[in-house]
Amino acid sequence: MAANPPTRAVTALWGGPSAWSDTISASWRSSMRFRATAITLMATSLAIFVICVVIALVIRSDLFESRKDEALHNARAAVSAAQKQLDSGQTGDDRATIAAVWGEAQRVLGRTASSSRIVGFISETQGDGYTPTGFRSLEYSSNQMTISDELHTRVTQVRNRQAWQSIPLPQSDGSEAAGIVVGQLLEFRGVGTYEVYIAYDLIDADETLLFVQRTLWFAGITLVALIAAISWLVLRSVSAPIIEAAETSERLAAGDLEVRLPVHGEDELASLGRSFNAMADSIQSQIKELAELSLVQQRFVSDVSHELRTPLTTIRLAAEMINDTREDFDPVTARTAELLHTQVQRFETLLADLLEISRYDAGSVQLEVEATSLAQLAEEMVDQLRPLAAAHDTELRLVAPGGYSPVDMDPRRVRRVLRNLIGNAIEHGEGEPIIVTVDSDQRAVAVGVRDFGLGMRPEDAEHVFDRFWRADPSRKRTIGGTGLGLSIALGDAKLHRGTLEVWSELGIGTNFVLTIPRSPDVEVGRGPVPLEPEESVVDLVDVTEPITLRGVRDLIDDVGHADREEAEPESADADAEHAKPGPDDTREQSS
Amino acid sequence: MTSRILVVDDDTALAEMIGIVLRTEGFEALFCADGAQAVDEWRASRPDLVLLDLMLPGMDGIEICTRIRAESGVPVIMLTARSDTADVVRGLEVGADDYIVKPFNPKELVARIRTRLRPAPQAETEVLRVGDLTIDVDAHEVRRGTAPIALTPLEFQLLVALASKPQQVFSREMLLEQVWGYHYKADTRLVNVHVQRLRAKVELDPDNPRIVMTVRGVGYRAGSVS
Repeated sequence: MAANPPTRAVTALWGGPSAWSDTISASWRSSMRFRATAITLMATSLAIFVICVVIALVIRSDLFESRKDEALHNARAAVSAAQKQLDSGQTGDDRATIAAVWGEAQRVLGRTASSSRIVGFISETQGDGYTPTGFRSLEYSSNQMTISDELHTRVTQVRNRQAWQSIPLPQSDGSEAAGIVVGQLLEFRGVGTYEVYIAYDLIDADETLLFVQRTLWFAGITLVALIAAISWLVLRSVSAPIIEAAETSERLAAGDLEVRLPVHGEDELASLGRSFNAMADSIQSQIKELAELSLVQQRFVSDVSHELRTPLTTIRLAAEMINDTREDFDPVTARTAELLHTQVQRFETLLADLLEISRYDAGSVQLEVEATSLAQLAEEMVDQLRPLAAAHDTELRLVAPGGYSPVDMDPRRVRRVLRNLIGNAIEHGEGEPIIVTVDSDQRAVAVGVRDFGLGMRPEDAEHVFDRFWRADPSRKRTIGGTGLGLSIALGDAKLHRGTLEVWSELGIGTNFVLTIPRSPDVEVGRGPVPLEPEESVVDLVDVTEPITLRGVRDLIDDVGHADREEAEPESADADAEHAKPGPDDTREQSS
Repeated sequence: MTSRILVVDDDTALAEMIGIVLRTEGFEALFCADGAQAVDEWRASRPDLVLLDLMLPGMDGIEICTRIRAESGVPVIMLTARSDTADVVRGLEVGADDYIVKPFNPKELVARIRTRLRPAPQAETEVLRVGDLTIDVDAHEVRRGTAPIALTPLEFQLLVALASKPQQVFSREMLLEQVWGYHYKADTRLVNVHVQRLRAKVELDPDNPRIVMTVRGVGYRAGSVS
């Protein structure tokens, strides 16, 4: 069934014939009922048309036959009456007597022929007396009836035999009607033989035929319409359950596991309904089972995390106490205390991340939304992480052409995401500078963290958001992430209805872009900060030349200036320590 | 004089460890492991501060806090394994001054305790006025006319902080730093809940506040003197 008949119909009405044919072909494709009805309609139309034509032809020939028989009968009766008159009235061969007898015969003929179109010709003369040449009836005029030679021949050949022929009969109003002319010989003994032709029109028969044909066509069309309506209705009883089944499947697929098909009776549709419902029952019970299992597991993770917290608190307090007094211990014990202290902290971070993940799994995380300037937040984070970056000989740079106006977000979570991304970049950045880019467009704000370090293979990059996944298991951990950071970051991005995407290439570097929509119902689309670099760094730098920090920095400045026409608040030779733009300056420039 | 701190926690190892930390920092620690006996223990010992675990056998921390608040404004700090549950908000709503999420480090614990035990900041003037209230800072007393209003030390501190700078709008972060001693972004629910509790006590109509005014999108300020 067409899902959108009203609009489709309206456009079709106004759209002309091509739109109509579009509508019909669309209905043909999409509606089984339409197709079946159309086929039924066409087949019955053809059958009824053929039947009507045959009936019409048969009736027509019957009507003609009976009319012809009647005409022949009338003509024969008239001619024989006239013949009798001629035979009885013949008394002499004087002109007056002959004329009187002939006139009487003509009157008899006119009286009994039931036709006013009578004509007679002298065919053969007998004797040598007075011979009337012929006669014609009152309404007759010479151009009214043409006697073909063929008829003439047939009439004159055999005595006492009738011959007939169909001819068009001109009417008084100028039109022509079908007619037949019957010819026969009339013998005036002693005078001559006459050909008598009597014409009969078929107007009555034509009218009858027309009426019968009209009735036939009307009945045929009514029958076709009735069959179409009946098949439409009958098909509905078949297609309605199918449509219902399709709709129910859609709702089931959309997650409404409670929907079932109503089952009536024992027919095929009922069996379809029963199997469908059995399938739905099975799916529902399995999903329920899985959901319960997953709920149990989530609760277990959450409970374990919480149960671990109390003893961990004791251990942590103890470790801190011991660590604080480690100067009093011998070096081995002091180092042990230190290790205990740092590893307890790591354990605690891991536990916190696990708990956070279990919250996402349970769907129990709620955003605490606050209007926040992403650029300012990124600046805070960059400042906060600068000591860590300095410890890894890495330069942190902030480029913020936009993103100053506040957007609703959970600043605690966004800060955590940024800390994670920048921490990762420092760890894997190989000491190359790290560029943090903040920008915005009408729909979203975004922050990108780009490093020029080891990078990853694209197939590895697909897994960075997996829990506990590491690109290279042998790679040493220097900052000590838990392996859950990016999973949590992705969860945070999704909570904001935003995206967290990664681009990475081996030997070139990695770029993470967090995009947050300005309002939750906006699609972020392409986002204001591009994920992939416009041009590969390798393409831009002479490959034989080692990619130095200096080279990359110049390069980035070049690319940056080429990309954005508006002046960035930093220049190519800006001191690395002051590379970040002053927010006030930038705000003035961007407003 | 050493401050006496009642530690209500059913985990004896943790309680003992907290005791060690507290004694190291010069506090005197008292213990109670059973929720049902906590209120009696508190009545008997009258400590200067209560560290209260939220999940306890016998009687839960919320109920204990409610009963203590019915009799006293003694500082109560909750210990909780979950920061995101409704328990924390309920604990604050029944009058707990602050909370610490397990696992915590000793410095954090001690800093939280010291903030709650330190004397109220000295105002420049001894008597502050806000709305129709008179605040006698030295006497730790708030009066409407001649009728005194009983506030907990924390609520008093909150009111004094606002009243001492009547022209200033305080953001939640500023109040967290000034009253709770947090120097970093902390849970602003602390401020929201305690402002509500304060309003319930000092406002004639808490739905239409005249003493603690909300400045939409920024924070709070003291109402003008009437």
